[in-house]
Amino acid sequence: MSHTQTEGPETFADRVRAIPGGEHLEMCYSCGTCVSKCMIQQKLEPEYNPRRLLRMVMMGMEEEAFKSPTTWLCSECDLCYPACPQEIHISAVIGVVRQLAIEAGYTSPLETVTVDEDKCSGCGICVMVCPYEAPHLIEKEVDGEMDRFSEVDANICRGCGTCVAACPLGAVARPGVSNAEIVAQIKVKRQPKDVPRLVTFVCDWCLRADDDVSLLESYPDNVRVIHIPCTGRIDPEMALMALRSGIDGVLVCGCAPGECHYKRGTYVSSCKISLLNTMLGQMNVGDGRVRFVQIGTQDRGRIRNEVDGMLEHLTAYKEAQ
Amino acid sequence: MAKAKSKAKAKPKIAFYWAASCGGCEISVVELGLRLIQASELVDIVFWPCIMDFKYSDVEALKDGEITATFFNGAIRNSESEHIANLLRAKSQVLVAFGSCSHTGGIPGLANFYDKASIFERVYDTAPSVDEDSRGTYPKVRTKVSEGEIEIPKFYDKVKTLAQTVDVDYFMPGCPPVVEQIWTVLNVLLAGQLPAKGAVVGADAKTNCDVCTREKGGSSQRVSEWKRPHEVELDPDVCFLTQGVICCGPVTRAGCGLPCISGNMPCRGCYGPPDGVVDQGAKLMSAIGALIDTDDPEKLQEILNTIVDPAGLGYRFGLANSIMNQLK
Repeated sequence: MSHTQTEGPETFADRVRAIPGGEHLEMCYSCGTCVSKCMIQQKLEPEYNPRRLLRMVMMGMEEEAFKSPTTWLCSECDLCYPACPQEIHISAVIGVVRQLAIEAGYTSPLETVTVDEDKCSGCGICVMVCPYEAPHLIEKEVDGEMDRFSEVDANICRGCGTCVAACPLGAVARPGVSNAEIVAQIKVKRQPKDVPRLVTFVCDWCLRADDDVSLLESYPDNVRVIHIPCTGRIDPEMALMALRSGIDGVLVCGCAPGECHYKRGTYVSSCKISLLNTMLGQMNVGDGRVRFVQIGTQDRGRIRNEVDGMLEHLTAYKEAQ
Repeated sequence: MAKAKSKAKAKPKIAFYWAASCGGCEISVVELGLRLIQASELVDIVFWPCIMDFKYSDVEALKDGEITATFFNGAIRNSESEHIANLLRAKSQVLVAFGSCSHTGGIPGLANFYDKASIFERVYDTAPSVDEDSRGTYPKVRTKVSEGEIEIPKFYDKVKTLAQTVDVDYFMPGCPPVVEQIWTVLNVLLAGQLPAKGAVVGADAKTNCDVCTREKGGSSQRVSEWKRPHEVELDPDVCFLTQGVICCGPVTRAGCGLPCISGNMPCRGCYGPPDGVVDQGAKLMSAIGALIDTDDPEKLQEILNTIVDPAGLGYRFGLANSIMNQLK
């Protein structure tokens, strides 16, 4: 095997193996179990294929590997890791390829967050919360004085929006998930008195089955569905704005613990909604009108029960009013 | 005050008033010290009941718009504070909501966790007291006594901010507003350099974190237990959040000069939300929730339980002004 060779030029595979995370590259026998577990191919990019990427590396197809969407789109959710019969930490291998690609001057094709320095206070919260360690603080001179700002490495950012929600000043944003763009979607047409109005925030990944996604679209006007990349993007302020505007309830749907597409978004959202509900309870206005549900890979069809259950609860709430 | 009228050019008239507040805002004005005497040569103080002997009739006797600027501190708790707010609004060209209570409800605004009935029940009935005879005696707006009828102000169900009661021109935050900011604002107003109506004056646009020099958190530096300030020995050079202590700095407008943070105590949020933040408490929880470090759902609840009284933390000075308050 090549990694026992001491002579000859260093191959692409040698370089990948030499970096921690890349060492198990050649254990892959291309069974494709990883591909069947991965949501990216199904939901985002048909060309996405970890099995093929690993094969490219072994075959020395450096340029193709660096350009491959697989190199850039993997979000390290690690659903494939426990499924791999060879126990390869596939996202770590992909991470090494990504690192080499960045070193070679390739850039991420993903839509990533940017920082508005006029708004950024340099508090460092985005740095602390990012699942990928994409932001960091920099100091630079502004009008003769040193000031501190956040800077996001666009090659590392996956665009989940966890930092966008955590940033108190709205200084971090990415197209499609800025505060203004999400708030603009929070509206439900007026309904007859007994019909509850519900806003459902649903993460782009928790609904594995296409049927579940289309089911959400089939609800009548009183159910508004807002798609977000990750429930880590949820901001309790938005839920309050919805309730203030006369909407009866807010349902947030994310991934099951351990299955979050962006590693920690579902925990973040769980904490935020829990804190919000504690505060609503302290104010004596909670009544279960804000709910967070975590939908697992095996929970096909569950979204219907969750939405219907919420509507039932809100109908009872309205009757009690 | 009367002497001023003899001068060729009338001096601008200034008023101060306190509604539901502790008096700290007045102390902050008095802290101007010798500069207050300097100011009193430039302006006529026509109403300042905390410091000098004035009657409400003195204000009623003024023409509408006769007062150049009124600095109104305190929240609107009862019919008296509401009446004086309306009166001073009519008599003033510029009305400044002065201090947290007037600006966002302040500490009195925390009463909005309850309503009038439960507050009265606690205060006049169930609270421990040495006077058992008067237990259960509730105040009434009108009471007949042998000399006739006496009237006291009506206590409202909720505490309101000044802007929820009358039209306000400027907002000056702080519990209390710091003395240097008061001096700056006073001079700006007297020079006629009026900012746009509705502006927050005597404060910055960004948050306390922008001016705080403590070392900020690094990548993935998250919190697995929240502690209250008295439970931990705090490093004075490091961000409170990274030490697991909730600081309202990230959601609080800068301008105070960081007296609490310099004293090694976390920010409590008295300068109110910065531009772009609508609900200070919810926004704080959006940051705090994301800082919690765990991938174990049971542990997660344990960590959340270490946050004692999230609403009290997030809305300490701003409950009356919050979206949360509007839901009740």
